[in-house]
Amino acid sequence: MRLDRLEPDGSGAGPLHRLDARVTLTAALFFVVAVVATPFGAWRPLGVSGMLLAFLVGISGIPAGALLRRGLALLPVVLMLAAIVAPSHPEAAELGPWRVGLTIVAKNGLTILAVLLLAHVTAFRRILAALAWFRVPTALVATLHLMYRYLFVLADQLGRMARARRSRSFRGARRDAWPLNAGLIAALMLRSFERGERVHSAMLARGWDGTIRSLDGPDSPEPPSPT
Amino acid sequence: MHIPDHVLSQPVLVATGAIALGGFGYGLRRMERRLKERSMVLMGIMAAFVFAAQMVNFPLLVLPASGHLIGGVLAAVMLGPWAGAVVMGTVLIVQALMFADGGILALGANFLNLGLIASVGGYAIYEPIRRAIGGKPGVLIGAMVAAWFSVLLSSLSFAVQLAASGWWSELPKVLGWMALVHAVIGLGEAMITGLVLRSVLAVRPDLVFEEQEDVDRARGWARLVLGGLGASLAVAAFLAPLASPLDDGLEFVGGRLGFLTGEGSAMIDGPMADYTIRGMPDVAQATAAAGLIGTITVFAAGLVLGRTISPGRASRGPIDPDSPGAGAGGGPGAHAA
Repeated sequence: MRLDRLEPDGSGAGPLHRLDARVTLTAALFFVVAVVATPFGAWRPLGVSGMLLAFLVGISGIPAGALLRRGLALLPVVLMLAAIVAPSHPEAAELGPWRVGLTIVAKNGLTILAVLLLAHVTAFRRILAALAWFRVPTALVATLHLMYRYLFVLADQLGRMARARRSRSFRGARRDAWPLNAGLIAALMLRSFERGERVHSAMLARGWDGTIRSLDGPDSPEPPSPT
Repeated sequence: MHIPDHVLSQPVLVATGAIALGGFGYGLRRMERRLKERSMVLMGIMAAFVFAAQMVNFPLLVLPASGHLIGGVLAAVMLGPWAGAVVMGTVLIVQALMFADGGILALGANFLNLGLIASVGGYAIYEPIRRAIGGKPGVLIGAMVAAWFSVLLSSLSFAVQLAASGWWSELPKVLGWMALVHAVIGLGEAMITGLVLRSVLAVRPDLVFEEQEDVDRARGWARLVLGGLGASLAVAAFLAPLASPLDDGLEFVGGRLGFLTGEGSAMIDGPMADYTIRGMPDVAQATAAAGLIGTITVFAAGLVLGRTISPGRASRGPIDPDSPGAGAGGGPGAHAA
């Protein structure tokens, strides 16, 4: 799984980027629920939601190709499950397994694209600020916040450790990969533990009281500028 | 594997969502009480670690494919059952919201399978084994057996959720196949968990979670019930496919006696009849055999790994230069926060 290209960049900011995170999050959730609740065989509502999504992608300024590529990477799982479920689905008696399977794939394609669109137009920290505004417990929001912040740090660290290992071992046998990779994970875990303790002391030294403060949440004094 | 939206039916989504919400809330409350506000920092970073650890690919020796650690039992062993579950839940939330990996509405089902069952259920299997064997080998063997069972139990829970979404009739067959396939996949999870824990135990055995001894009566009962539940689920996993010929026998008798006439008989004569006659007994026996072989294999592997932990190296500091891979990237830059 690639981690880059997740923070929406300000350069291609379209009208959707400027929307409040509370609006985009609610809209995305509503869209997902509506798509999932659509009954089988109802192609017209699905078509309408697909057109709506295409319109939103169009005005968002996000390259549709990139969005589709990321969505396609998730499709094999959906295809496999659809193939398992469709033949014995209760609706299959009326509609036939092919149409049921296609409906499942189509619905999942729509929801996956909707979530990816949300992730591309609304930065995760703004989604978290919106969640806090919706009264999601502070402990969860703060944990998610810290997790997201350190995800990239740890992924970078993992990359550095793997590169260092590669540069020291000239040929890797496949059977060595297991203990070596497990050692990599163990070292990363110990460093994560220690990093967690260091970060916590540093945060305490700066007056951390358990709440995450941000300059660009819904309560911020002025809206964030895309520059 | 994460369940996407709309593979499960709406009632299943609602039911699993409710269970998951309750479990997550309970886990969050317990974690907060135990660790105070330090929890958020440590849990956040450990969740990021689990996410990063899932990106390390392990090549399969026989196939040109690779698998990765799931980490539910590893998190539970290091942080405790409920904190482990919360960490897994946080990982799932970020994967669903940012990467569209796993549906938003299926978050409940995914958390039930990969968080509650893997971490809390896995811990319920790990803790008695650790106590019975004791010491570092106890931690290692317990964690490996629990990791194997956690993969198995999550896959079976997934099978039940799928079945409840509309095809109860095929549950025994699906359970049998799921158990068979995941008995093999679980071996990988058990090996990775064991190898990782071996390195950790050699360097910082103090970091492994240990429950406080002041267990009151109610807590003790809760643990007993949880452990019993885990064990019985594990046993049921292997016995369920065996019970299925009996189930079919019931249908056969029902058909004979005329209970199932009209529409029902057409269904019984359909493709299911073929499966039950040709496929079913094989799957059932193979599954039971896989359960036995898997348990013994994991246990033996744990014993071997447990012997190779050299004791008395704990004083050497945080990073052990001898353990494989640990020395890599140990430069000063890698340590900068």
